[in-house]
Amino acid sequence: MIVSAIGQGMLWAILGLGIFMTYRILNFPDMTTEGSFPLGGAVCVTAITSGIHPIIATLLGVLAGMCAGLVTGLLFTKGKIPVILAGILVMSGLNSVILYVMQTPNLSLLNKPKIQDFFLQLNLPNYYDIVFLGVIFLAIIISLLLFFFNTNLGQAYIATGDNEHMARSIGIKTDSMKILGLTLSNGVIALSGALIAQNDGYADVNKGTGVIVIGLASIIIGEVLFGELTFAERLVAIVVGSIIYQLLILLVIKLGFDTTYLKVFSAVILAACLMIPQLKKALNLHFLPSKEDER
Amino acid sequence: MRKNRLSVVVVIIVVFLIGSFFVEKKESAKEKLPTVGVLQFVSHPALDQIYKGIQAGLKEKGYEDGKNMTIAFQNGQADQSKLATMSQQLVQEKKSDVLIGIATPAAQALANTTTEIPIVLGAITDPVSAGLVKDNQKPGGNITGVSDKSPVDAQFDLVTEILPKSKKVGILYASSEENSKYQVEEAKNVAEKKGMSVKTYAVPSSNEIAQTVQVMTSEVDFIYIPTDNTIANAMQTVVNEADKTKTPIIPSVDTMVEQGGLATVGINQFDLGVQTGKMAADILSGKAKPATTAIYTFKTGDIIVNQKQADKLGISIPEKIKSKAKSVD
Repeated sequence: MIVSAIGQGMLWAILGLGIFMTYRILNFPDMTTEGSFPLGGAVCVTAITSGIHPIIATLLGVLAGMCAGLVTGLLFTKGKIPVILAGILVMSGLNSVILYVMQTPNLSLLNKPKIQDFFLQLNLPNYYDIVFLGVIFLAIIISLLLFFFNTNLGQAYIATGDNEHMARSIGIKTDSMKILGLTLSNGVIALSGALIAQNDGYADVNKGTGVIVIGLASIIIGEVLFGELTFAERLVAIVVGSIIYQLLILLVIKLGFDTTYLKVFSAVILAACLMIPQLKKALNLHFLPSKEDER
Repeated sequence: MRKNRLSVVVVIIVVFLIGSFFVEKKESAKEKLPTVGVLQFVSHPALDQIYKGIQAGLKEKGYEDGKNMTIAFQNGQADQSKLATMSQQLVQEKKSDVLIGIATPAAQALANTTTEIPIVLGAITDPVSAGLVKDNQKPGGNITGVSDKSPVDAQFDLVTEILPKSKKVGILYASSEENSKYQVEEAKNVAEKKGMSVKTYAVPSSNEIAQTVQVMTSEVDFIYIPTDNTIANAMQTVVNEADKTKTPIIPSVDTMVEQGGLATVGINQFDLGVQTGKMAADILSGKAKPATTAIYTFKTGDIIVNQKQADKLGISIPEKIKSKAKSVD
């Protein structure tokens, strides 16, 4: 059970990393997420059912997500549509794209090859295939992100988010940076969509509902628990945050609460995490180290 | 300090994973009652009736919750991200002996979690196109169940009797539901065979239903609704809009007739649940095996008429139908 929750947390962490690229670095929420996530799954599952190798199918899913991000980016920068609206427009439009791609609202992968099947020969205990899959993809994504943010391009991207005027004044094409960010971020989000669809064994047009909350939860839990960190550590904190969120949901289910009202519990968990800094201040809990102590 | 905390948590997770990797937990084989794990996709009147029926069906075969077996119930509330966790909870934690999935996504989540524990499908229109079984007659794997495929033929026969002048049918369904897609195709064939002209109206979500029905009422003689969860939940909207132009609605589920549909030949959702429960009971007691148990399909159903609605629309139901029909209002 717990192993499975950790594995799922890792797959969802990829979503958190994707959202982090826009939500934290460029400082805007990207609603495209709820469309690119199921799109990644839909393209990947459709490709697999038409006989394409799961790894290539997953990459196709990523490509599709990048296209979605690109459209949002163009609407936002060239079309001057506010970013939230642009994201929502693309998200709702993607609903039709997904239906067109799958030709059905729900496509199953039963008896079809999946990416985690490659771990079958290793004879792992139950659910370790997801853990291994998660570790491998997280390692790839985190190293790519670290590499990217250390290049000139990556630094320009960060500068755009930190101070757009300043960035423009030193000759950074901020619009291109925003388009780039949305494209890459939605590619990462679609990757998590493709992996989760394979893990769940099906793609569904409604799978995107509420995923942005899961992604934000991982980011926020990571930040609240671990505070100020270096860039690489922040990425790891998102992964840990995502795992903790899945464990909390598992705990709620295990404690035997009526799952009919599960959403209110996930909302309470999130609200509680968001309020921890305020609570700490209000109660003046000295035994919890504050930022001042570190300095 | 804070940095240490992050490393500590990462180390805990890694140690835990490595630990449980090597310590293959030996399950304590303690005595327990047989468990039936039920995973329902979302709450709405039709699916809730199925769950009630399942409990009744199990009871009919001598299994009573809390006495000689336990029902472990989970409801995903349409949140597909939780269905996987809930399935694992039912399989691993509750050690279910038989699993029941109500509605397609729930059944798929269960099917993806185990290929060993028997799964009984409740309310899956076409298990083959949902990718759950290979063949409806000989499922072959660990899955069998009860189809909620409604008797479309009988439904359109009923239409020709109570609405003899209606020649144009509009089919309303949600583009997001696998179940409906299949049924829409079938309804289209049946209606065309009867010489009706068919127009299909797909809605992406419940928000577009009101406008869609407004358009429909100006273009068709009556509205047909398949077994569709989205439309079922918004039935009141459909009825309100259709009533404005006195357009009759022929749904395919009895609960939708109660909410303002005119009439149907329907599988009673409760009976469907009872059938599902009985099947689960037979598998639980070892009398039946999923691999060799054919998917159960209802051939006929009850005629259900909403007399109040008929009066409102000024439609007189022929006596010979009235005598056979179950009336709801």
